Amino acid sequence: MEFFQPQNLTEAVERSGLDTCFLAGGTDLVLQLREGKAKPQVLVDLSRVTELKYLTAAGGCLEIGSMLTFAELGGSELARAKANALWLACQSMGSPQIRNQATLGGNLANCSPAADGLPPLLALGALVRLVSRRGEETVPLAELLSRRPLLEVGTLIRGFRIPDQGWKSGFAKLGRRRALAIARLSVALAVEREGNQAKRVRVALGAVGERPFLSEALAEMLQGREMNEAWLEDAAAAAQQVVASALGSRASAPYKRVAVSGVMREAWASLAGGEGTACG
Amino acid sequence: MTSVIGSRVVREDAWGKVFGQAQYPADLNLPGQIYGVVLRSPHSHARILSMDVRKARELPGVAAVLTAADVPRNSHGVLYRDQPVLVAEHIRMVGDPLLAVGAESLELAREAAGLVEIEYEPLPALFDTEEAMRPGASPLHPEVHGLSNVFYHLPVVKGDLNKGWEIADVVVERDYSTQMVDHAFLQPEAVLAHVDARGNLVIQVSTQYPHYDRGEIAHALGIKVSRVQVKTLSIGGSFGGREDISLQLIAAMLAYKTLRPVKMENSREESFYSHCKRHPMSMHYKTGATRQGKLVALEARIVGDAGAYASWSPNILRKAAIHATGPYEIPHLRVDSYAVFTNNPWTGAMRGFGAAQPVLAYESQMDILAQELGLSPLEIRLRNIFRTGSVTATGQLLSGSVGLEECLQKVAPFLRQEEDKE
Amino acid sequence: MVELELTVNGKACMLKIEPGERLIDVLRQRLGLTGTKEGCGEGECGACTVIMDGRTINSCVVLAIQAHGRDITTIEGVGNRIRPHPVQRAFVEEGAVQCGYCTPGMVLAAKALLDKNPDPSPQEIGAAMSGNLCRCTGYDKILRAVQRAAREVTGT
Repeated sequence: MEFFQPQNLTEAVERSGLDTCFLAGGTDLVLQLREGKAKPQVLVDLSRVTELKYLTAAGGCLEIGSMLTFAELGGSELARAKANALWLACQSMGSPQIRNQATLGGNLANCSPAADGLPPLLALGALVRLVSRRGEETVPLAELLSRRPLLEVGTLIRGFRIPDQGWKSGFAKLGRRRALAIARLSVALAVEREGNQAKRVRVALGAVGERPFLSEALAEMLQGREMNEAWLEDAAAAAQQVVASALGSRASAPYKRVAVSGVMREAWASLAGGEGTACG
Repeated sequence: MTSVIGSRVVREDAWGKVFGQAQYPADLNLPGQIYGVVLRSPHSHARILSMDVRKARELPGVAAVLTAADVPRNSHGVLYRDQPVLVAEHIRMVGDPLLAVGAESLELAREAAGLVEIEYEPLPALFDTEEAMRPGASPLHPEVHGLSNVFYHLPVVKGDLNKGWEIADVVVERDYSTQMVDHAFLQPEAVLAHVDARGNLVIQVSTQYPHYDRGEIAHALGIKVSRVQVKTLSIGGSFGGREDISLQLIAAMLAYKTLRPVKMENSREESFYSHCKRHPMSMHYKTGATRQGKLVALEARIVGDAGAYASWSPNILRKAAIHATGPYEIPHLRVDSYAVFTNNPWTGAMRGFGAAQPVLAYESQMDILAQELGLSPLEIRLRNIFRTGSVTATGQLLSGSVGLEECLQKVAPFLRQEEDKE
Repeated sequence: MVELELTVNGKACMLKIEPGERLIDVLRQRLGLTGTKEGCGEGECGACTVIMDGRTINSCVVLAIQAHGRDITTIEGVGNRIRPHPVQRAFVEEGAVQCGYCTPGMVLAAKALLDKNPDPSPQEIGAAMSGNLCRCTGYDKILRAVQRAAREVTGT
């Protein structure tokens, strides 16, 4: 295996191809290399590509570079203010050591069913900026997650764009321990409020299928209604239905189907600005 | 005279450990060492029909490929030598060691192990102790343990059980089961073995039983015990999981065969596959008490899943039987404790050594009885606990100090506070 | 082979390595710094914790080449018998050391915390140490040791 360390985005994209693999933080890839699950001829290390490391609020959007680590995002007041759900996920993902190394771009590229970063990004309506030799493409994350394979050969995740629509968002996950736990279930919730009305809602679920996904059914049921205890009851009950149908007869289904209502309540309670506590 | 009681004592190895100086076996190396790996069974029950190691032996950089044929006396085990060093034919569990490779690098050793071609005949496997106990169930160890999978049974009888049921006002009957647990000590097994200038085997390893290991290695190799030296290095946790011999036996074989220093390290996954687990126990409890909350009768059946090999099972199920009443005096009882072979991972020593599992059963019984009798959980215990002068299930007179009552009385105010809150 | 230049415990090192080599293997095998321990090999247990540019990482899920040009502190660079680091002294005095296998990683996680935040709350200590597992279950003593070290560092 060869090692290539591009100094800028152009070099990185030009060196990529069938036989290459991008190296971000490496916390997943290093294991895959060892287990022989990834066998690239060339490892393209992105750590020196400064164009991938940015965090700004510009043009009505929060812009997040793919090489930002979970620790960097989790330590950012800007991220907290503009993308609370994502900021919360950054607090509990992996361990301090993993958060110091792992990147948001790597989280998407690896695309584990339990990837902590993806449900918040989905709920926040994030767009993904992709770059390849053919040029740039900006695609909604929800759409990208329906692609097989996720990324075409030679495609690099440049960053994420979260439209600043003033939505409130929250996130909660269920793990087997409080720290160092892979999500068994995660819920990210974003709400556009009008008074006490939930004008629009997005709900994303993680670790209940091959990839995290947005639930249209939940969103439809919850938007346009007053947010009160009944609303939350319905959200918890409907989430059970969604999880039940997503998991089918999988061994974890009986557990997760019930557990999701609690996780849903916690996600609601974590909504930015303590909004959730009013009826949570 | 120095007094230790009441003073702060610094453990003598603490300083070395905070500086990272303490040496665990994986930290040692010798010039010219080769690396050993073990190929383990993916089947829980199977017969080896053929094993072709030619490609592995021919791979450049491979120093040795050992199979059962290379082991002079192919057995080990702390109580019974019922466990093969390397399986010759009969595989009894996933993780059974089939062969060992020594090569110039770990990667080469793994590659060589991957080149071995093995033909298996999968056999019907027993995963359930009740099934394994049934008459006619296929015996796992006909040679060493005879034609039954029940290789240990301890009945404990005290008083007159019929009388006990007669005077019982309340009887609670329940089933309990506990799960398999891995020690998951933080330091995976590792060893460095070499043959020294005098031709003696030197094994540097983290072990709970260097003296046992010495005997096992000498036995398997067919050499004198005095030719084997086992040095215990720092031990990165064991909790019972390093009582049975592990990689040190195979590293010794490789070193003896190749006359090269041999280093072996388990990955975490290999560690999980190779060492014993805590016994899952199925426990049927029938407990009787008078209206006054005095225990008068107990009938208990405890079945421990030994998995594929005996290890310490008899001692562990003995301990389970002895502790079956918990710290409570019961005049009339019968306890039957069994150790049973299955094709599950083998089980052995782990913290508590069989005393931990029955706690679930006897303390749950106490809580249920308390509920039925309208007593507090604390009260029913105070009415039955061992005190000085109590006689245990096995007839032991507790003549010395028994601190349980004192202990419960100390925590009682806190427990009563909790109860008041509810 | 690639050239790797990094600083380990204040010393500049130059090595030729394979790109696929993990940082833990380079530290333990090539540099002989065996104080860094491998417990799980997949970034779960924290025994392999080292400090890279002031931040803790798991050296078992980081390639050595990712440490190129960076500054690494391993347990061997923290203190010694003549001048133990306050964290090391506190671990010994509080009895926070048992089997010792988690200890180097624990000490480094605590040191990295106190370097940034000399007066952490118990919650902050808990969070900072949450990536390090102890199987002898000495967590209480470990947390007490970090508090004790913090008091020594801040002189309170």
